[in-house]
Amino acid sequence: MTEPVLRIAHLYADEMNIYGDRGNILTLQRRAEWRGIPVEVRAIGQGPSPDLSDIDLIFWGGGQDRDQELVFTDAARHKVQAIQAAIDGGAVALAVCGGYQLLGEYYVTADGKRLPGLGLVDLHTVPGSRRNIGNIVIETSTLGLDPPTLVGFENHSGKTYLGAGLHPLGRVLRGAGNNGEDGAEGVAAGNIFGTYLHGSLLPKNPHFADLLLERALQRRGPTRLEPLDDSVEMSAHDSVRQVVLKR
Amino acid sequence: MRARLGARGTAALWAGKLTASLSRGLRRGGGTTLPGDVSRWVDPRILTKLSRSLTDGTIVVTGTNGKTTTAALVRHILEAQGRTSVANQAGANLIFGVTAAVLNRTSWSGSVPATVGLFEIDEASLPRLVQEVAPGTIVVTNLFRDQLDRYGELETTAAHIRRALVQGPEGMTAVLNADDPMVAALGDDLPRVIYAGLDDASLLRPELSHGADAKFCPRCGSAFVFEGVYFGHVGHYHCPRGDFSRPTPDVRATSVLIEGMERMRLRVTDGSQEAGVEVPLSGLYNAYNIVMALAAAKAMGVPLARSAAALRDFTPAFGRMERTVIDGRPAVLLLAKNPTGFNEVLRTAIQFGKARSFLLALNDRIADGQDVSWIWDVDFEQLKDVAQHIVVSGDRALDLRVRLKYAQIPADRIEVVSDWRDALQHAARATPDGEMLFVLPTYTAMLELRAVLTRDGALQPYWQGRSVDAKPQGPDGAGGQQDRDVGDVTENGDRRHHGRRSRAEGAEHE
Repeated sequence: MTEPVLRIAHLYADEMNIYGDRGNILTLQRRAEWRGIPVEVRAIGQGPSPDLSDIDLIFWGGGQDRDQELVFTDAARHKVQAIQAAIDGGAVALAVCGGYQLLGEYYVTADGKRLPGLGLVDLHTVPGSRRNIGNIVIETSTLGLDPPTLVGFENHSGKTYLGAGLHPLGRVLRGAGNNGEDGAEGVAAGNIFGTYLHGSLLPKNPHFADLLLERALQRRGPTRLEPLDDSVEMSAHDSVRQVVLKR
Repeated sequence: MRARLGARGTAALWAGKLTASLSRGLRRGGGTTLPGDVSRWVDPRILTKLSRSLTDGTIVVTGTNGKTTTAALVRHILEAQGRTSVANQAGANLIFGVTAAVLNRTSWSGSVPATVGLFEIDEASLPRLVQEVAPGTIVVTNLFRDQLDRYGELETTAAHIRRALVQGPEGMTAVLNADDPMVAALGDDLPRVIYAGLDDASLLRPELSHGADAKFCPRCGSAFVFEGVYFGHVGHYHCPRGDFSRPTPDVRATSVLIEGMERMRLRVTDGSQEAGVEVPLSGLYNAYNIVMALAAAKAMGVPLARSAAALRDFTPAFGRMERTVIDGRPAVLLLAKNPTGFNEVLRTAIQFGKARSFLLALNDRIADGQDVSWIWDVDFEQLKDVAQHIVVSGDRALDLRVRLKYAQIPADRIEVVSDWRDALQHAARATPDGEMLFVLPTYTAMLELRAVLTRDGALQPYWQGRSVDAKPQGPDGAGGQQDRDVGDVTENGDRRHHGRRSRAEGAEHE
């Protein structure tokens, strides 16, 4: 087999994968492979600090509430330094749903327990009184995406607040987003991205998938990805955007 | 037997039956649950009062997958023993649907011409149903991730069921799937449990599938060791620390032989008897429905050999391996509503049906689950080397189209067709001579496809399902009277109504 050119770490693949997170991994993998870039996906579970120094892209997804606590404890104990080192070395991180909450300083559970997060980004999450469930469309502004929209599905009761000076991933056009109050959705802090959008996120947002891939490959030298035929992906994107915005 | 209803109960009965007649007269639909709503509004205890007249008691079936088929199998066995049953229809599986089903069968004077109640019930509604009808037997088929937007999470679902089991009436028997760890764990501390499972090692597969759920020991949280799985997370397992292991099934199939899509043969033993069971169903998941049904029948006092004999002429429940002919091509409808269900239906179609032509239909209404991310947990990769033609349809056909692209199925084998009738026609015409079309829809997509097929005369309307009091009239067992009077129900409209209800009920229990 060819030496992998892109190495993806799927963090807590067993514990946090309930919202079709496999779709995100599959999209990254296929879109690299379709361009002749060999990929290795490494599943990282609970337990002692993994070596992530050769990793280009780290992904983690959402889990059940019960597993969330398990993962927070493990992450705070074993993963912080390895992830931080990988990111300092130019790796890209994408965290979705529960994974997004884990990215921050802390997370308060529904019964009031405060769990420290990875502390990679200055954000925190507190319990909300209602669960935000439904299709969501957001508009990015600083990433140069064309089209600027991202579409997905959100399902969370936690309300996330960004620290001063942090940029959200996008502004909400329809849906709740971070907290249903300030119109912000997700976070984009350098190469670290967090979002509540699943559905899965990347298959219907191939332009964002390519942005992640391109940034991850920068570690190996300047990269321009060849364009692919995305008509199938973008017709799904456009259809969700149209249906949701019409409501 | 005549129910003791009292003045209020009688008023509730009449109000419910009147609603059913009116909605039939107005052709407004809603006939499968609305009478239940109205009647319960008049007397919230109406279901309790009516169910007391069922002398053989009530059996309740719950779980993520297999409720409808398991309930239909149990019903078939009991009717063969001469017991008459009252049952709710597939889909109308909330408390209102159960109430409406009983009202429908009850005469204006309050007599219920049945001795046993057989109800499939949504997991979140189980505690309430148990309180109201005090069932003698509860069957829990399995627990898989399903419609996360409705219930939140699997843990919540398991908690609903656990509460119902603990609060059940004295003498109640729980019939549990020994091979599903989350279901087996429900048997802790229950006085009367019958475990059912499979013991055919030749069918075990070494790996857990994507999106398997019950991977950790409920006692200590350690990752289970699986000696093998039959599908999903259902198989033979133990906790490495010895905190929990698979209970030995009381009713178990020691061999399962699947012969195409036509039938399957099982060797089943219940400790005292052994029997060969032949059932006109296919797919390993149906082996579970069969052993669960045999265990439930055992709980009702039916000897294994008699149950086995009864199942020979079973007819599948609607949309579950239901046969039809579309545009001259034989076709089979296989409901596929969550990752595990979809995977197993695909596997069955490919492995036992030699399927090469498909119609896949994905809707995202409340009854389907509005979040379609689950399709990424389905192994559509199975289709890569076998599918010659796939028609994709439904509200979210384009999402499914993307999924198939990432399963690396060549684009020229996939066709997106939005109109239902066109989709059926295209799929049928692309099916080669001598082959069968496999139609795999989500719940409301199935109702809509069935509505088209019914209008075209290819299928019977769903409320003209199997009879309860009449013997099957034809070789296909169709032609019952019981439900014909629910009128001209718009199938999908009706189910949407359930969907809203179900969320409200779920919230109520949280």
